[in-house]
Amino acid sequence: MNCEELRSDYAAWAMGTAEDPERSEITAHLERDCDVCVPGVRSALATVTSMSLAVRQVDPPRRLRKRILALVMPEPGKSWFSFWLPWAVSAAFALALLIVVIPRAATPPAAHPGETAYKEVIDILNDPLTKDAAFGEPAARGRFFVSPSKGVVFIAAHLPTLDPGRTFEMWVIPDGGKPIPAGTFHALPDSTAVYFHQGPVSAAAMAISVEPDGGSPQPTTTPIIVTKL
Amino acid sequence: MHAAPAFSPPLVLVLTSHPYPFSSQQRYHLQSADRMILPALILALELSGEHDEELALRLRRKEPQAMADLYDRFGRLAYSVILAVVRDASLAEDLVQETFLRVWNRAHAFEPGRGALGPWLLTIARNRAIDHIRSVGSRMQRNSSEFDAREHPSLFVDMERDVLNNDHARIIRLAMAKLNENQRKVIELAYYEGLSQTEMADRMDQPLGTIKTWVRGALKVLRAELGQEAAA
Ligand SMILES: [Zn+2]
Repeated sequence: MNCEELRSDYAAWAMGTAEDPERSEITAHLERDCDVCVPGVRSALATVTSMSLAVRQVDPPRRLRKRILALVMPEPGKSWFSFWLPWAVSAAFALALLIVVIPRAATPPAAHPGETAYKEVIDILNDPLTKDAAFGEPAARGRFFVSPSKGVVFIAAHLPTLDPGRTFEMWVIPDGGKPIPAGTFHALPDSTAVYFHQGPVSAAAMAISVEPDGGSPQPTTTPIIVTKL
Repeated sequence: MHAAPAFSPPLVLVLTSHPYPFSSQQRYHLQSADRMILPALILALELSGEHDEELALRLRRKEPQAMADLYDRFGRLAYSVILAVVRDASLAEDLVQETFLRVWNRAHAFEPGRGALGPWLLTIARNRAIDHIRSVGSRMQRNSSEFDAREHPSLFVDMERDVLNNDHARIIRLAMAKLNENQRKVIELAYYEGLSQTEMADRMDQPLGTIKTWVRGALKVLRAELGQEAAA
């Protein structure tokens, strides 16, 4: 069959639902790097991939991550955390990345706010009792690090743009309790944010909502992010 | 470069992966950048959405942390897609595991910098799920070479990079809402159940020609909404 006759079956082929003779014909065209069918099928695969975004998103059980990492970890049981630093050392600066930070600590500013923030964030990340939980599309992507004794570090990208007079507010949600306000913050112009909240935290989940400037004592909008720990 | 991180410089987190000149607007100035080693930096990189290339390279080098990053990035989406097809949480876990292992084992064939990692992984994920329900229903003969062809990394070269971004998620939902009932039904039968058009014709008790018209119409709407090149 010629390419023209196969065009209408590219999507079916991409979904794995094409039937012979089109199925094997398209496969044959791809195998010989057909100039028409390769880009056509690629475009159809992009459409099919996009459809996966329409699927209702469900959090996998936490054990699944461990299970998958166990497949490739050289020493079973070794914390994945320990793989970060060596990589950071070798790769961080090769990437010519730049920089920004504006944590808005819930604590009074120290003489050198940057230094204080750095140490506090490191303490939370290094705390062996820190739990971390990632969240993903559609609202934003990022991660909470929650140390029961030290506080919470929140890092996110793709945060929504806020209307004037609005702010993000972090909430600590205790087991079976009402959300407790944990401070407000804004995103940087590139829609990323790093925020930390200092102090003991007893959280079953963490949330972020959009609130009027200055924050609210209880969420007044449906949180854009809710992440179980 | 220091061998071990020294945690004394000011807090400077890397939040963007594109170089830009330092501006006076930054509240904190960069100091001792070469000592700025922070796990959050890695996260920021991960979140920047621009390091597919780096991640693919690390997968090729078989760095275990690359698998962790890959999972953090696509695990939820892969699990959701597989679960939507097989509708069994514990089976979905097995198939997600199979998916990531397959990516790990085949990463050497993937062209970093040109290949679209997410679409490749999600294609593998859905294939695992469809393959499973087919083998259980023994509906269609299993044809692993067919799957191999569909998962071939070369098909994911130069694919639009933003196929999986937030905007696309919103747009695809809107696009699905624009399909009429028949169009939506055939897309769902194909996407979630892997039915061929002949099987759909049987299932829906419609002539094959009608099914083909619906499928074509549905894809036309989706492509138009997604702004994707019309291939059909
Ligand atoms: Zn061709």
